[in-house]
Amino acid sequence: MGIAFRLVTELVAGVFVGAAIGWVLDSWLGTRPWFLLVFFFIGAAAGILNVYRAARQIAASAERDADGDQQG
Amino acid sequence: MATENAEHGGGGFAIDPMHQFEIKTLFPMQFGNIDASFTNSSLFMVIATAAVIGLMLTGINRRAMVPGRLQSIVELSYEFIANMLRDNVGSAGLRFFPFVFTLFMFVLACNLLGMIPYSFTVTSHIIVTFALAFFIFIGVTILGFAVHGLGFMKFFVPHGVPAYLLPLVVPIEVVSYLTRPISLSVRLFANMMAGHTVLKVFAGFVIALGAFGVAPGIVPLVFMVGLTGLEVLVAALQAYVFAILTCIYLNDALHMH
Repeated sequence: MGIAFRLVTELVAGVFVGAAIGWVLDSWLGTRPWFLLVFFFIGAAAGILNVYRAARQIAASAERDADGDQQG
Repeated sequence: MATENAEHGGGGFAIDPMHQFEIKTLFPMQFGNIDASFTNSSLFMVIATAAVIGLMLTGINRRAMVPGRLQSIVELSYEFIANMLRDNVGSAGLRFFPFVFTLFMFVLACNLLGMIPYSFTVTSHIIVTFALAFFIFIGVTILGFAVHGLGFMKFFVPHGVPAYLLPLVVPIEVVSYLTRPISLSVRLFANMMAGHTVLKVFAGFVIALGAFGVAPGIVPLVFMVGLTGLEVLVAALQAYVFAILTCIYLNDALHMH
């Protein structure tokens, strides 16, 4: 459950931060809704990238633990 | 409102699972327009800090060759964080041992103090965890620039990406980097708040169902015992996750792999 929750927060945080950046840029430049649209998708991509990296890192540390058990 | 609560809560108890997260002002303080009152949240931060310092000082007081209980706790926590840094950052990371150790012990103490009935869980407020995560984020970013200079910008340019894809990949990498304080703080806050709310809701079930006799009241009580154990596990686990992610961010800043 801990791992699943970690992956979910990574994904949601990516979308949230992307949308927030887009929103702020739009407010500054008065270009609503274009930056919001673009950064929403960039944020979603960043979220997926984060999930992929987190999953790889979890797998790597699990493998390292397994190796340590075999040697020790 | 009071009558409404009395109607819904069995046995005339007002059951409000969110009441535990309420901030109460203990000593009002005002600096200009800033409300800097000493609240129950501040009180429990002070208690957590005092508890950690007390544990450390009494633990290393004796310095026995064969450690006693308290000294074992101190030595174990030292080894735990030192190994975490060595595994995730390498020996260069041991410079940051005091920082990560303080962070881990503070979060752990706050989480565990929250498990005591009638206490307040500091880490169940997003602003507390966000402040912690944001300082880590700023510190790690400054560290990255201090170690690598402007070369730290290369962190956002992955190897082997064709030049025509860079306008797409670099913003994704930058946004991915900026999500760190959000995901770090939300994870700790959401785990603590959800866990404590569930505990209070089940405690409400004990009273509500207990009104129909002993047997229906026992069932949620059994759940409560299990959930309390689980919540202690979550408290320790989330402190660990917070510390290990700090290590990973430190590693990124130092080694830029």
